[in-house]
Amino acid sequence: MTLLSVQDLAVQAGALSLVDGVSLDVAPGEVVALVGESGSGKSLTALSIMGLLAEGLTVTGGRVDYDGTDLTALPEDRLRALRGADLAMIFQEPVSSLNPLVPVGRQVAESLVVHDRASEAEAAEAAIEMLRRVGIPEPARRATQLPTELSGGMCQRVMIAAALISRPRLLIADEPTTALDVTIQAQILTLMADLAADAGTAVLLITHDMGVVAELAGRVCVMYGGRVVEQGPVDPLFAAPRHPYTRMLLRTIPRLDEPTKGELFAIRGNVPSPKNWPEGCRFRTRCDRASDACTARPALIKGDHRVACFHPVEDPE
Amino acid sequence: MTLLQIEDLKVHFPVRTGRFGGGKGLVKAIDGVSLNVAAKETLAVVGESGCGKSTTGNAVLGLAPITDGRIRFEGRDLAGLSPAERRHVWREMQVVFQDPVSALNPRRTIAQSIAEPLVIHGHPKTKIAARVDELMDLVGLNRDQRDRRPGALSGGQRQRVVIARALALNPRLVICDEPVSALDVSIQSQILNLLMRLQRELGLAYLFIAHDLSVVRHIADRVAVMYLGLVVEEGPAAEVFANPVHPYTEALLSAIPLPDPRQRGRRKRIVLEGDLPSPLDPPKGCPFVTRCPIAEADCAAARPALVETGDGHRVRCPVRLRRT
Repeated sequence: MTLLSVQDLAVQAGALSLVDGVSLDVAPGEVVALVGESGSGKSLTALSIMGLLAEGLTVTGGRVDYDGTDLTALPEDRLRALRGADLAMIFQEPVSSLNPLVPVGRQVAESLVVHDRASEAEAAEAAIEMLRRVGIPEPARRATQLPTELSGGMCQRVMIAAALISRPRLLIADEPTTALDVTIQAQILTLMADLAADAGTAVLLITHDMGVVAELAGRVCVMYGGRVVEQGPVDPLFAAPRHPYTRMLLRTIPRLDEPTKGELFAIRGNVPSPKNWPEGCRFRTRCDRASDACTARPALIKGDHRVACFHPVEDPE
Repeated sequence: MTLLQIEDLKVHFPVRTGRFGGGKGLVKAIDGVSLNVAAKETLAVVGESGCGKSTTGNAVLGLAPITDGRIRFEGRDLAGLSPAERRHVWREMQVVFQDPVSALNPRRTIAQSIAEPLVIHGHPKTKIAARVDELMDLVGLNRDQRDRRPGALSGGQRQRVVIARALALNPRLVICDEPVSALDVSIQSQILNLLMRLQRELGLAYLFIAHDLSVVRHIADRVAVMYLGLVVEEGPAAEVFANPVHPYTEALLSAIPLPDPRQRGRRKRIVLEGDLPSPLDPPKGCPFVTRCPIAEADCAAARPALVETGDGHRVRCPVRLRRT
């Protein structure tokens, strides 16, 4: 059963297309990763789902069905009621997402109080319990402290506690560990995987890190130039990527089991900005398999493992 | 030959503490670090935020105050240099920082940015344009971009400009502080390949400061792992990555997410409890004792020494050393 179904989503800034026909599904208890580089449209897709697009950006097409309701057509007050209760989001920068003047315990409890789900006292107690569950030592004392008195890793755990306290059915995590050190990242990823499994939360994980995807996600959508270029279950997608971009992206990552000091595989050219996206396939100017056919837009072929390419890779190398 | 010698370096910063800044404290950002960089080699300094890796680089560059210890370049103590000698050292030692956007003046053209050190160091005016062209070729920039401004370039191209500028005076040592971590994944390997090629062609030595261990493993000859202002393990990169001895190095390596879903659940992952202790109030003994899975009673008592275990491999962990 699908909880979130994004269909053919399009986002524009004026006439400039930034997200162009993105479709993806997330089921309860499932972690779906949305991967891409800067300008791929992955974060805008997430913000569109939450109805949090910045001024000047508009959803110009498609639907975001959440539990059967199209969120893009929902009035702001009903959407706000869903956010913080059913839908929660974790951002990359924990420090700037928290209010520097409010003790962290109260920020964690906020969604319970605002949505009248608990009294102040009950919410405060629930917040301490939630801080303990996300691995914050001495949660009762920490709850009284301001974000500036906590480390970055602890602030990120506070954000996660605030997002999870209302037991959301859908959690959107936008680069939740990118600003963190690798040993703290390991703690947070383990925590998110456990919570998805235990509480049946549907998780949409936005990241640029293929390592994080492989650790946490069940399915993955690879985005490039505002479109999904490949999607499918992680195992076949990593073992035998079919889109040339996915394949090249995986090959550029220095591996821990290959000889050192050698030439690394590199994708030629630069990540194009939305103003300079080529006609047709947007990866074709950097692709070694491109032909004249690629000046037309490739459709995402149907199936469990989908790819949008006129010359997909048939067999793993 | 040893190009750069860092001897028992200490960098302590006085800070105000408490919610209203009423208290006083001392952050020991670096508390006794000794490292050597030989000509033409890459020494990587790795560790998490607050470990002191960037402060080490900054101290070498004269950007952080040295509380104690010495830094020698080509055998000369940097503290006692005459102005002329200092000018010479600044030619030989250059830096590439993480963020190519803030490293470049947005109003200057690419050619002006690259020419800047040449102008400052009195390179003959008539020869500057030719040298800029040469440097642009060297780092893979197109010559017809010379009159562009940084805003018109991509992140990878801007980092190439920063590298060209760093190479303008033919340095022997380049300090690279997270040179690829602000770049897109598909661009990182281009810049790493460039740095490796330049090292081969120009005989450069790199002090490479980074947190991404898969990058470090690929390009470093030797690696030093720092934790809370101290080196906890140092050695040949291949050896440290294959056989880490210090429990922190082990945890750090096991925490790297691998881009291979088949490894999930099969790897032994050491998830560390808790956070880095406050550098205002570090543990008395071993800096890692509060999070260490194998700590014993005496670890909290006195700071362990960095002990050579053979072949230039040094480890600061008495527990592991007793067991081997």
